[in-house]
Amino acid sequence: MHPRSILRFISIIILYLAIALSVPTIVSVIYHENSVFPLLYSMLITLGVGLILYFLTQTHKELILSHRDGILVVTFGWITAGLIGALPFMLSGYIPDFTNAYFESLSGFTTTGASILNNIESLPKGILLWRSIIQWLGGMGIIVLSIAILPYLGVGGMQLYKAEIPSPVIEKLKPRISDTAKTLWKVYLLITVIEVILLFVGGMPLFDSICHAFCTMPTGGFSPKNLSIAHYGNPYLECVIMVFMLLAGINFSLHYRFLKGESKIYVIDPECRIFLLIVISFILIIVIDLYKEVYGSLLESIRFGSFQVCSIITTTGFVTADFDKWPSLSRKILLICMILGAMAGSTGGGIKTIRLILIAKHSYKEIFQLIHPRAILRVKLGGKSIPPEVLSSIWGFVFLYLGILVLASLIMAHLGMDMISAFSSVCACIFNIGPGLGTVGPTQNYLSIPLIGKWVLIFCMLLGRLEIYTVLVLLVPEFWKK
Amino acid sequence: MKIIIVGAGEVGFHIAKRLSEESNEVVLIDKDEDKINRINENLDVYALLGSGTSPQMLKSSGIAQADMLIAATDSDEVNLIASMLACHLNPSIIKVVRLRNQEYIREEGLLNKDLLGIDQIINPESFMVDTIKNLIMVPGASDVIDFDDGRVKLIGITIKPDSEFVGRRFNTFSEHHEKFLVGAIIRGDQVFIPHGEDTIQANDLIYVVARSDDLNGILGRLHVEHRECKRIFIIGGGQVGFTLAQSLDNTNLNVKIIEKDSRICNSLADRLQKVIVINGDGTDKDLLLEENIADADIVLAITGDDETNVLISLLAKRLGVKKTITRINKLSYIPLVFAIGIDTVVSRRLSAIRAILQYVRKGKIISVAPLKGEHAEAIEAEALAGSNIVNRPLCKVKFPKGSIVGAIVRGDDVIIPNGQSIIQEKDRLIIFALQNVIPKLERLLTMHLD
Repeated sequence: MHPRSILRFISIIILYLAIALSVPTIVSVIYHENSVFPLLYSMLITLGVGLILYFLTQTHKELILSHRDGILVVTFGWITAGLIGALPFMLSGYIPDFTNAYFESLSGFTTTGASILNNIESLPKGILLWRSIIQWLGGMGIIVLSIAILPYLGVGGMQLYKAEIPSPVIEKLKPRISDTAKTLWKVYLLITVIEVILLFVGGMPLFDSICHAFCTMPTGGFSPKNLSIAHYGNPYLECVIMVFMLLAGINFSLHYRFLKGESKIYVIDPECRIFLLIVISFILIIVIDLYKEVYGSLLESIRFGSFQVCSIITTTGFVTADFDKWPSLSRKILLICMILGAMAGSTGGGIKTIRLILIAKHSYKEIFQLIHPRAILRVKLGGKSIPPEVLSSIWGFVFLYLGILVLASLIMAHLGMDMISAFSSVCACIFNIGPGLGTVGPTQNYLSIPLIGKWVLIFCMLLGRLEIYTVLVLLVPEFWKK
Repeated sequence: MKIIIVGAGEVGFHIAKRLSEESNEVVLIDKDEDKINRINENLDVYALLGSGTSPQMLKSSGIAQADMLIAATDSDEVNLIASMLACHLNPSIIKVVRLRNQEYIREEGLLNKDLLGIDQIINPESFMVDTIKNLIMVPGASDVIDFDDGRVKLIGITIKPDSEFVGRRFNTFSEHHEKFLVGAIIRGDQVFIPHGEDTIQANDLIYVVARSDDLNGILGRLHVEHRECKRIFIIGGGQVGFTLAQSLDNTNLNVKIIEKDSRICNSLADRLQKVIVINGDGTDKDLLLEENIADADIVLAITGDDETNVLISLLAKRLGVKKTITRINKLSYIPLVFAIGIDTVVSRRLSAIRAILQYVRKGKIISVAPLKGEHAEAIEAEALAGSNIVNRPLCKVKFPKGSIVGAIVRGDDVIIPNGQSIIQEKDRLIIFALQNVIPKLERLLTMHLD
């Protein structure tokens, strides 16, 4: 383990956050808001801490990051970011309580979008923008994490995507990953800018357009409006956001390849094909369920049904309708959407389509083997055989995910929530969605949850975002042995 | 013709044998002393012990005066270097190179005149795969040969004893004559080119020439089964088995491949998508029954071992499979296996020979296909202006006894000729001929200078 390198990387993260804090500060100045000084102080504190750490870890030697160091940087990077994100909320007095502020901030950085705020619109624009920036930065982190770092660390069977990075060097994470990251961030920025323009053209105020685009691309789901997207009641805006939520739910390396001219890549890629197929079939079921039952016209059923499916399956969490009041079948489909999640390599959470595909194929293989006991069978994806280690790692991952889900739900239920609310609140946090059902439904928030419950959910958000193993491995004594 | 062959393996040996039988001057080079001894004992060729990649060796084999080099070792790399050296030592030599790696074959421009100057690639394995695929398309046939890129097909059909055609004379087929022509008959060890007065006998293997488009109708009229195979068993996962399975992969055919070696099975399973790979012994009756072999439309016994293949075919027939294809490498086995009821045989040897014969023949020969038993050939040739065959009715052309024009391909048309048909220059002809009249036929096909 190399503490100096780890702290060095974390100090760099802190310094970048200090730079990011300058943006809402300037916005606050422009709007003459009372949040100017809290934001400025937050920025200065962050800058100070960052610089101190940076100079303390100054060295002439080359920075070395081992496999374990990588895990530590990732986990502590997110935890630290959460702390810094909470500063403006606390200093400005809008969320004075530390637990609540940390919940809001980590919910942003993990792109969950679960909020403890009752009246969002009462917040000054500077703070609202900071909330969106947190999500946008979290999304940036996740892209690198899910495409470059986690596959390389081999978390949860994601070594599948290792092939995407050209020849990973074991000891040095930096050079190639930073190249990959820069390219993907350009794609991320490009899509965000396009969304801002499309929203602004559709009549949304510029500030709202920026905030919403910043929360769509990381599949976050924070909105500066109490009613989320429903505030505008504008089908065009809903349509734009729906398309961009789907884009955010697709592996960003596919977007990169699309921009490079591989126009059919979304259809060729087996994971993407199945992801889109799942989205379409769920929309169909829900539209049939909603038609006549909730909405009189077919068009309205499609409008609200498809938006909610896209929002939940990509784990964004924007709402245009109170789906908690929908019929039971639709609610259950949305619950399945929560668990399935988006594609690996996207900013979305959940179990991820790729794992679902491989688990389904592996199960089919086992059944097939009963019919042909002597057959040599392989689980394949896009024509390539998947090694058995990857498959067992995926089974382990999914089992652990569901195990933690059940355990955390029981704790929440024990704290006094009803079963549906308890289960859906954990789902909404561990799969990084935001709104759940019942007392944490789309029109509610997480403020009323008891203190311990909030910390359980914070832990869940972190677990879900960092694909469980990355966090749990820190709890194993073997990890800390020299 | 003076021909140098590098590599005295199975392919090299058979080619050398055939070429020496046709009174060519053949020099064989191989590194293996035993093989050289065997050749010296068996064949009328000059066998040299040494490496085909040694310039000195090639020089001493007389490459400067040679007309053709055939590089037929098992190693693609050795073959390519031998042909490069040949190019260097004698730029005008014809180079026939055996290549197995599909990557080399697919790489455009690699084999052309500028770089390596290879005139013909021989790949007996892929040739065999093509033959087998043709046979799968026409399961009733014992032999299927493509001409003119598949637009004309030569089908070998074994006449069953209970067939209604047994005892009929050929001239009674005249009502179908426009559509097809019986070009050759193989009866026991004898090959002959039929006349109108000849009759069909039981167990004759008749070769029919027909347009691919008319094939189904003709097969129906001859009562040959032409239902396409759906369930295919491949036994043996070697080079041929794999290439075949790969070409049948991702079709709607139901293909199973059985291979004994578990390591080969693993590599097959990695590379094949829909084909089911089964690890087991192809001669294990219980395994075959477990995998429902009785319902298979066709069983391909194509392991590297002749005896195993014969046993598998017999076993499969016993278990109720209608059609089997057996790979036989030793030519001397072929009459024996016919006697015990195996009708369709493929071998690397015929494929290899077919690929090189066109370079040995005089006249503008496009391709040559030896028929079963090799005493007769089907030749695809271009009619040259100034030769004695053009611009006169066929009955006036003095074709040697023992040869017959099976089809005339003119532009997009395929004509099944009669005595009044007239050959024009640039026509492509498909001619059946007995081996002993081929020199006469060659003379007829070449340009007449006076």
